[in-house]
Amino acid sequence: MALETPLDGLQRWMQAVVVHPGTTDEAVASPDAQREVPAEALGEVILPSPTLSPVERVGVYHDMYLLRMHDCLAGDYEALKHFLGDRGFIDLVRDYVKQHPSRSYSLNRLGDHLPEFLETASGIRRRGFSVDLARLERAVARVFDAPEMPPLSEAALAAIPEAAWEGARLRTVPGFELLSFRYPVNAYLQTVRDDDHDHPKPRVRSSWAAVYRHDYSVWRLDLTRPEHDLLRDLSSGQPLGAATATALKRGGRRAPKEDDLFAWFRRWASGGMFATVDL
Amino acid sequence: MSNRWRLPDLGIGIGLRTVHFGHILGKNPPVDWFEVLSENFMNTGGRPMHILDQVAERYPVALHGVSLGIGNKDPLNREHLQNLKDLAKRTRAHWVSDHLCWTGILGRNTHDLLPMPYTEEALSHTVERVKQVSDFLERPLVLENPSSYVEFVASTMPEWEFLSRLAEDADCGLLLDVNNVYVSSFNHGFDPDVYIDRVPADRVVQYHVAGHTNKGTHIIDTHSDHAIEAVWTLYRRAWARTGATATLYEWDENIPELEVVHSEALKARAWREEPEVAAPTHGA
Repeated sequence: MALETPLDGLQRWMQAVVVHPGTTDEAVASPDAQREVPAEALGEVILPSPTLSPVERVGVYHDMYLLRMHDCLAGDYEALKHFLGDRGFIDLVRDYVKQHPSRSYSLNRLGDHLPEFLETASGIRRRGFSVDLARLERAVARVFDAPEMPPLSEAALAAIPEAAWEGARLRTVPGFELLSFRYPVNAYLQTVRDDDHDHPKPRVRSSWAAVYRHDYSVWRLDLTRPEHDLLRDLSSGQPLGAATATALKRGGRRAPKEDDLFAWFRRWASGGMFATVDL
Repeated sequence: MSNRWRLPDLGIGIGLRTVHFGHILGKNPPVDWFEVLSENFMNTGGRPMHILDQVAERYPVALHGVSLGIGNKDPLNREHLQNLKDLAKRTRAHWVSDHLCWTGILGRNTHDLLPMPYTEEALSHTVERVKQVSDFLERPLVLENPSSYVEFVASTMPEWEFLSRLAEDADCGLLLDVNNVYVSSFNHGFDPDVYIDRVPADRVVQYHVAGHTNKGTHIIDTHSDHAIEAVWTLYRRAWARTGATATLYEWDENIPELEVVHSEALKARAWREEPEVAAPTHGA
């Protein structure tokens, strides 16, 4: 006999079972599922097959859910998975999607809250390092999907009158993120990508990086602290004259020279970091 | 015989997959057309869209979605529909398809193709939504029969009847996945020939053929291998009813080189050339 459950109730029940982080038996017996269908009435909702019981049949969907979420997040957080290990990562995925399930038609942004989630999640190995690594990989994923905008050409830069440079404000391309870390996570990510087993130790050592897209490829550029600070000032809209003056004063005796700033700027511009300049 | 909208037989195509991007753009392989997973090209402005623009310049494409949730009890997602419409226009897609399924409720998306109960309530609900989507897209939505692993006690009709009535009442097209018919027939114990014979042939605008994974107790629709002969036999049976219809080979796990996927797809030619429908040779 069929349990009389309207379509919305049936969908609420099945979703509660499918996304439950425990076993299928636990899922069927969970409060969310039993609000719609009592566990003992499962046979009045799902038919058995000659080879599978109702709980085994709905278990096919239940088991695939976590795998699907894992595969999506493992794609965006390859190095974090490497660092945490397979077991640690699947545990993280289970806890994460319980708190941050997908609410979008796209899986592209499923992992957007992962770095913040890691800050308080239980059982995370070397939490500070893991959070920094996740921040870097999230930046890579976001920059990958950012809108495309052609960078400022060398000709456009050369055409700027010398007198206008002091007040010029540079705008970065949409796919641009500037990051500072407590750990050397960009080096770690590179060793994972290179399948190099000589990974940097997860010890505190400040590092800085720019993640940006140029010619449809995502680039990760290691920066020094002075480079990071100047780029931060420029990308926040400070005029070039004020930002460079500040950069020359920062760092005391180890402050960069004007020639350094010129070389940095040329590298950043030719790399495609800047989209427009307001004069 | 062609479909009632005279949507073209695009020939034999394969799915556009990331691992093949370089091969496609570099070698222009002689693939008749590409099927594009719609959601993979929404909310992204980088390399995927750049690649798709080039592919769509060189090849015919059709869009195939997984997140429309046509059977969801939640309201339709207008942002998703607008993005889908924009993508179809940008790629000059010949049609837009998704699945007969639901994907989530209470604002969530499981990103699975969850099965519908085949009831009058579900039918009228889905008909209304298909009409809304087709109106919005300004073209008939094309729906694919799902593979499924559960059957609901509440169902009052077989899947092929639900699908046929849905197609007639909502005036939509069908993407007939013969592998899904085989998978579900194994899992639920129905006769796949009956399913093929009952689907309204003039509404079929595309075929899917794929491999699956037989677990012994049930079959999972993994798209991870070559199609077995029983699936091709169903394709031949269906082809005899519909005539020339665009055919797409799906390979989504352990994806081999493009030539391997394409050569598997091209097997369709041999199965089309059989003049008569074979005796049912499928089975477990």
